[in-house]
Amino acid sequence: MNRSIRTLYIALASAFALLVVMLGYWQVVAAGGLDERADNPYKMEKQRLVDRGRIISADKIVLAESVAYREKGKKYYRRYYPQGTLASQLVGYATPQQGATGLEQQYNRYLAGSYGTGAILDRLREETKDGADIRLTLDTRVQKTAEALLSGRKGAVVAIEPKTGKVLAVASSPTFDLNQVAGDFASIRKEPDAPLLNRATAGLYPPGSTFKVVTAVAALAGGKWSASSTFDDKGVYVVDGKPIYNSGKAKFGLHNLTDALTFSINTTFAQIGDTLGGRKLGGEMNLFGFGRPTEIDLPSGEVATSGRYRDGKLLPNDQRDEDASRIAIGQENLQVTPLQMAMVAGAIGNGGRMMRPYLVRRVITPDGVVVRQQRPEEVDSVASAYIASEVGRMMQNVVSEGTGTKAGLSGLSIAGKTGTAETGDPERNQAWFIGYAPADNPKVAVAVVIEDTSGTGGTEAAPVAGEVMRTALSIGPVPGEPTS
Amino acid sequence: MSLRSREMGFLIPALLLGMLGLAAGASARADELQAGPWQTALGVALVFIVMHAVLRLRAPLSDPYLVPILAALTGIGLAMLYRIDPGLAGDQAIWVTLGGIVFCAVIVFLPDQRVLERYRYIIGLTAVLLLVATMVFGTEVNGSRLWIEVGGGQRVQLGELAKVLMVIFLAGYLREKREVLAIPTQRRLGMNLPAFRHLAPILVFWGAALVVVVVLNDFGTALLFFGVFLAMLYLATGRPLYVGLGIGLFAVGAMAIWAAVPRIGARVDSWLHPFSDAQGTGYQMVQSLYALADGGVVGPGFGRALLVTEGGDPRIPALETDFIFSAVSNDLGYVGAIGVMLLYVLLMARGFAIATAARDGFSKLLAGGLTAVVGLQAFIIIGGVVRLVPLTGVTLPFMSYGGSSVVVNFGIAAILLVISNRSRQGLVEAVRGVPAT
Repeated sequence: MNRSIRTLYIALASAFALLVVMLGYWQVVAAGGLDERADNPYKMEKQRLVDRGRIISADKIVLAESVAYREKGKKYYRRYYPQGTLASQLVGYATPQQGATGLEQQYNRYLAGSYGTGAILDRLREETKDGADIRLTLDTRVQKTAEALLSGRKGAVVAIEPKTGKVLAVASSPTFDLNQVAGDFASIRKEPDAPLLNRATAGLYPPGSTFKVVTAVAALAGGKWSASSTFDDKGVYVVDGKPIYNSGKAKFGLHNLTDALTFSINTTFAQIGDTLGGRKLGGEMNLFGFGRPTEIDLPSGEVATSGRYRDGKLLPNDQRDEDASRIAIGQENLQVTPLQMAMVAGAIGNGGRMMRPYLVRRVITPDGVVVRQQRPEEVDSVASAYIASEVGRMMQNVVSEGTGTKAGLSGLSIAGKTGTAETGDPERNQAWFIGYAPADNPKVAVAVVIEDTSGTGGTEAAPVAGEVMRTALSIGPVPGEPTS
Repeated sequence: MSLRSREMGFLIPALLLGMLGLAAGASARADELQAGPWQTALGVALVFIVMHAVLRLRAPLSDPYLVPILAALTGIGLAMLYRIDPGLAGDQAIWVTLGGIVFCAVIVFLPDQRVLERYRYIIGLTAVLLLVATMVFGTEVNGSRLWIEVGGGQRVQLGELAKVLMVIFLAGYLREKREVLAIPTQRRLGMNLPAFRHLAPILVFWGAALVVVVVLNDFGTALLFFGVFLAMLYLATGRPLYVGLGIGLFAVGAMAIWAAVPRIGARVDSWLHPFSDAQGTGYQMVQSLYALADGGVVGPGFGRALLVTEGGDPRIPALETDFIFSAVSNDLGYVGAIGVMLLYVLLMARGFAIATAARDGFSKLLAGGLTAVVGLQAFIIIGGVVRLVPLTGVTLPFMSYGGSSVVVNFGIAAILLVISNRSRQGLVEAVRGVPAT
């Protein structure tokens, strides 16, 4: 029997050898992949041991910092947001329970200190790490102005620097208190108007007449029209047996293209769209970045793609059989983000060169070493300098004598375009304004959208845009060290 | 050096290991150097020292390595339980003390294991009765019916005792039948088989194992019983054909059940694809895999992994019982987990050495069977945790939280030592020219 005993022992010992191999797979081979899985509680739990870096605005206001505390004798860090609700969707949160969003997620690698080659050594030593600070392009003075103007309403404001792509403000209303996330996330989630949604980057709205800026560029680029080309408005333009009217069924008679933009004449732009056709108009949309994800340093899930949607699915821009006359006036399933429209305005202001928007200027370690620096980058040239200046002049007219006069500021030349997307319910218009200032040397471009209003882009969005631009133009550099 | 002094020489470092583990866990908890629950540690150490003393008096020639191995496993187990919840370690210390009492009782009152052979049928019947009692009066816990309520809210797992009784019965039965089972008398389907009346018990056992799966909803126990049965059948006959046949039959039966019983089918599915429902059926397994991954090669040390939430709840359901090995792998890493597995292999090596040295068929089968029970049980649960086999709810011997398991495994160790003592005694007497009794 001893031979059988020996064989049985060898069999069982071999089975244990298999266990060793299998365990090695999980603990060594597959461990890295498992550690990174989103639902791995260890991943977030470990972050409590990390002194995360701060998030600091361009005017040196601390938006997020880590506060040390002791629990059962162990040192942990908790996230604190000194500004509470300010730019909450953009800053985002980072808690073990709810995960991370916004910049907290996008720059987690830096904030948590797990960048560079030192991180691997740290992991072996299981040491607590010190995260790097991220310095934003966002200025709290512009941000605060925007949020104050949106207060009590639903909507969004985006302000960017046209020449660099620096984002000065990203406001989304309603907002929420970031410090409440760790304690009572449920009640934030239950709020009816979705404060967690960053309307400025992820909110999709029909652009209405603001889209006519894109159509105007396409019209001039086609070479068929100029700013002074004349049109005759009969009050209606019929496509496929269906009429397109002007706002309030107005009739404008003889006018030129500048007038058409100034007074937002639907029939004229519909006619232009019809003449250009889906391919040409769609090609212009491609240039402006419609139909593809906007490149910005935010988590991809928090940035929506502007473009044409049907049943929730993105369509290509340049299908020949589409109704180009309605696309031209911002209808026909167009859904855009305020961020995208701010980029459109900025590109016109910047001589047709669209700059990539960015939120983080630089990343600095606690020792003061700059580990990452962002420089302005051009996305694309969407229009020639000539066309951009022509459309810009037309947009100045909108503010000086057209639908956008309420955006006007004394002593400043402003270019802009209003939009009012109707939903069928007169109390629930989506009011738009996009523009930039000063018109001759733009320092700021904005997009404003106000949801569910009985007013229009000219009455609701334009004053907000004017106020935000005025603040952006008045701010100067801030010396000294960051303060909470 | 005498065998018992050698035992003491290994026992002291083994006990120190457990004490250090407890102190390290307590220090991690408090974030400062602490001695930990030294009363508990000393109490358990005392239990082992008493066991050693009883062996010195009543079984001085028994194997000197088994008790130190036990002490190391028990110590690491206690340290793991303490870091999960100090209360669990306190309970477990009581169970270990009870186990020590049972251990000593076996050593004192069972000087010769061969008396058990005489009562093999009564013992076998008792085992069956215990299982039937569990089926009838059992309380369902976590979907499996394994426990019987006794007074004071305590639960006893009779299956644990039944498994030892079953091994004793099989040792007796197979000793009696091994010749007829080993000699083929007929040829069926190209295989040389013994007469059907000798083969029938195998088929009965196969059927019973499947019934246990369905009625008790306990795949682990069924797998263990059937595995031990096959191991002992192989020991008795030396014919691998029976093992192959048995595994084949069990596999066919298990497949049929998998297809027919949705509950078990779901369990197999969550074994094959735990991540497809990581928040539902696969939750436990996925959390355990995260714990293994977090442990890495060396692990952060006793009590330093994030196995328990701030509120004091284990991250992995059943961490203190079925998933105690995940806790070891997380805290002590791959290196520490291999160490624990080596302890089990060492335990088997000693157990099978005792079986080899035993001087009669019954004792060999008994020692081999008991060793196989412990080894297989460790393999089944560790294999479940590392996803080598479907996860089943059996305890990790000497380490998992639970009174029945601890007490019975200490009893198993005691029987092995009795056998070991007996065979060496016989050897000594034979050398002296005294006829063996």
